Amino acid sequence: MAVQAEEAAPIVRAARRQRRGQLGLAGILLLAGAAAAALYLVLAPLVALLFTAFRGPSDLLPFEPGAHWTFDNLVEVYVKTPLLSTVLPNTAIFVLGSVAVTFFTAFTLAWLVERTDLPWRTPIFTAVLFPLLVPGIVMAFAWTLLFAPNAGWVNVALRALLGLDTPGPINIFSMPGLILCQGIASVPFVFLLLGAAMRTMNPALEEASSASGARPLTTFLRVTLPVLRPGVLAPLILATLVALEQFEMPLIIGFPARINVFATRLYFDLNPEDELPAYGRVAAAALLFLAAAVILLIDYNHLIRRAERFVTVTGKGYRPTRYALGRWRLPALTFVGLYLAVGAILPSIVLVWTSFSGGSTDSLNLEAYRALFADRRFWPAVGNTFIVAGLSAGLITLIGALLAWQILRLRFPGRRLLDAVSFMSIGIPSVITGFAVMVLHLTLPIGLYGTVWILVLAYSYRLAVSTRLSRASLMQIHSELEEASAASGGRWLDTVRRVVLPLLAPSLLASFLLLFIVGFREFTIPLVLQSQDNWVLSVIMWRLQADRQTAQAAAVGTLILLFVTPVIFVLRRHLLSRQGES
Amino acid sequence: MLTVRGLTKTYATADGDFQALKGIDFDVPQGGFYTLLGESGCGKSTTLRCVAGLEEPDGGSIAIAGQVVTDIERGTQVPAFERDIGLVFQSYAIWPHMDVFGNVAYPLRVQRPRLAAGDIKARVMDALRLVGMESFANRQATKLSGGQQQRVAFARALVRRPKLLLLDEPLSNLDAKLREQMRFELQELISRTGVTTLYVTHDQSEALAMSDTVAVMSAGRIVQSGAPREVYGRPIDRTVADFLGSANFLRGRVVEAQDGVATVALNGGASTVHVPSRAGLAAGATVDVIFRPEDVTTHLDPSDGAIECVLERVVFQGGSSECQLRLGSTALRSVVHPSLAARPGDRAWIVLQPERCILFAAE
Repeated sequence: MAVQAEEAAPIVRAARRQRRGQLGLAGILLLAGAAAAALYLVLAPLVALLFTAFRGPSDLLPFEPGAHWTFDNLVEVYVKTPLLSTVLPNTAIFVLGSVAVTFFTAFTLAWLVERTDLPWRTPIFTAVLFPLLVPGIVMAFAWTLLFAPNAGWVNVALRALLGLDTPGPINIFSMPGLILCQGIASVPFVFLLLGAAMRTMNPALEEASSASGARPLTTFLRVTLPVLRPGVLAPLILATLVALEQFEMPLIIGFPARINVFATRLYFDLNPEDELPAYGRVAAAALLFLAAAVILLIDYNHLIRRAERFVTVTGKGYRPTRYALGRWRLPALTFVGLYLAVGAILPSIVLVWTSFSGGSTDSLNLEAYRALFADRRFWPAVGNTFIVAGLSAGLITLIGALLAWQILRLRFPGRRLLDAVSFMSIGIPSVITGFAVMVLHLTLPIGLYGTVWILVLAYSYRLAVSTRLSRASLMQIHSELEEASAASGGRWLDTVRRVVLPLLAPSLLASFLLLFIVGFREFTIPLVLQSQDNWVLSVIMWRLQADRQTAQAAAVGTLILLFVTPVIFVLRRHLLSRQGES
Repeated sequence: MLTVRGLTKTYATADGDFQALKGIDFDVPQGGFYTLLGESGCGKSTTLRCVAGLEEPDGGSIAIAGQVVTDIERGTQVPAFERDIGLVFQSYAIWPHMDVFGNVAYPLRVQRPRLAAGDIKARVMDALRLVGMESFANRQATKLSGGQQQRVAFARALVRRPKLLLLDEPLSNLDAKLREQMRFELQELISRTGVTTLYVTHDQSEALAMSDTVAVMSAGRIVQSGAPREVYGRPIDRTVADFLGSANFLRGRVVEAQDGVATVALNGGASTVHVPSRAGLAAGATVDVIFRPEDVTTHLDPSDGAIECVLERVVFQGGSSECQLRLGSTALRSVVHPSLAARPGDRAWIVLQPERCILFAAE
């Protein structure tokens, strides 16, 4: 047989040929497109950020004429200014404090709902989700209406009750106030994660302890907690990441108290009162927090892998036994009631009432709504909110599913990088994303800056939600189901359209809904990237509130509540039905 | 019909490279039923997946019905969906989001150029009738029992009338009784359609019962292939003998070799047997005498030429019993009639059937 030149590397050549053969041109374009999109959405802004940190002078964009390589930004931020002595301790206290509050509350609530005979568990489960769906900026605004030292409803009531005539007694504009508010706002998602961990725990582990003669408390301490540990630590880290990137509470509650955390500090550096934006310094400061987030993220990744191994699901449909609360029932209900009052009921009442009363007079009227509907910025903002949330949720769901498929089913160089990039987005604080996308698009001459479309792109960095969900359900789909299609003569697109997509549909829908809610709540990114033309509802509300148009701001908040409330019930049904399946 | 030449495949694993296939060659004639038999990890499923086009070998070539579908040296690798095959998976891979009709119609629906809906319907119903599932056409796939799912998988594999049917352990997920029944149904089905079949299994009784040709695989190679009786009766080495049914091994020494018959001294010379011998075994060679439990008779009284053993246990198995015996340090098994009345510790005498014994040089 004649030896041909290309026979030198027959295996490599054939491997490439096969992949093209199996996927077809359309498949390759689709998958490569998704990979490129992921790099553009997540990695490109971060690279732009990195460049910006090392280019000066600070008020120039990294590649504007006159900019050059420099360490000035780093020196400025980490040596000369009080970043490390004020912002860093503040951020640490804020994060640790709020995570502690979140965790204590969420663990207690999850335990009560999942593992005790607490009455009205389903309504409580539903109500706990409230702050998950209502944008943080709305919650923050409602809490200032309730707990502001002078005019806050609760303070007025307390003063009347106790006969005081000084401001207070509660001052929300303080570090403890900030910590409590953020702590309560983060409860729902931690509650969901902890509840899931408790639910999937194998009851036989506890039963074996009881059968060995251990009393309930001993069982809880020696068996339940250690078994739950990975399932508990992972949400703990996630809550820390979320607190680290928090912007709304520090802006609304921390700013009046002169408490700056890292997110607000970046924002104010980017929007100084009477100077040009200091891009280089912002980027330099962002690096530290990005590094912190990445370290947390690596821990988190490590933990969820362990959690997957550790928590055993029996699949026999046994549920862990519920503890009888007995005389603890009343204290338990009081705890739940207190959380719901502060986290859902009072904020709703105060928003609705303020929107109809103008906050000052006692006669109810529709003035605020009239003024709001007449504002020529309001209706475009409504449209923008839904367009941006819907488009970005759709885009991420699609890209995420394609990424998850190729990461799981194909072997190709760069697979790990793609996996890391798609996962990384959990850890990137949204204020950094907003800023990085801004720098990137001020530099790239494609004219998206200031439009609604840049919001769609910026929101779409949250790829991890979709890749994780798709990946989890792709792992449930036996690869033989896909191979059976190929063996039946189905091309890759046939397989995707007729086998993969239908089987993936429930998780794609869940991913879309979740991302839509996230997009709907988004405040930080649209604020950082705001222009005349791309306001969304949360930004409008903040503007009105900052301009002392309290009633109109409350009206926006009320409209958001009106939209969100039915969604809570949809979400609850979805969560409860999944619970029923497992 | 199916020609496989020089198939090699190496996987990179955490513990270094694993050579799954070390050069596989075989042919299946038109209408033949060819079985790859071996323990898990021997490479049999990898071979089948290479034939299906789901896996690409590192070297070698495959031709189906005269069409070269894989030729690594020339860079040819036809993707699975362009191969003229039907494949039944161990898990059946019945799509849960389709009904029975949808599952079976799939290979026709993805065919280009498109088929008319009426043709599809007729052919799907034909295929379902073939497996006796025509009344289940509208049943949701998730509401089927294991045996029904398997029939649907067969209908789906056959509906395109492929030239080659590939079966990857199709019976191993069924319980024992159903497995036996499905084995006959499957054989019946295949002989009725006359399709050329490549079958992969680790179950030797399936392989022996169903195949025209059995190929025993071990560590990425085909160790022996041939008609079931031939492979069973004339195993080429200890591995094959051990894997195909149970086998007894008795260490001995050739005393005399003449005219194709060797006289072997067993048990330190206490007894001798005359066994048909291969060439090359001279007097003085240490050998293993191999025989099957059903090829030895067991008696509780001594007789001429019988070998004395100690009886360790009699295991009642219904239609027969298995005697576990000990000769020196060697454990032996024999099949006896269940009426044999013996107790552990009794002495027993076994008589070999020399023409059913095989000699191997001891390793």
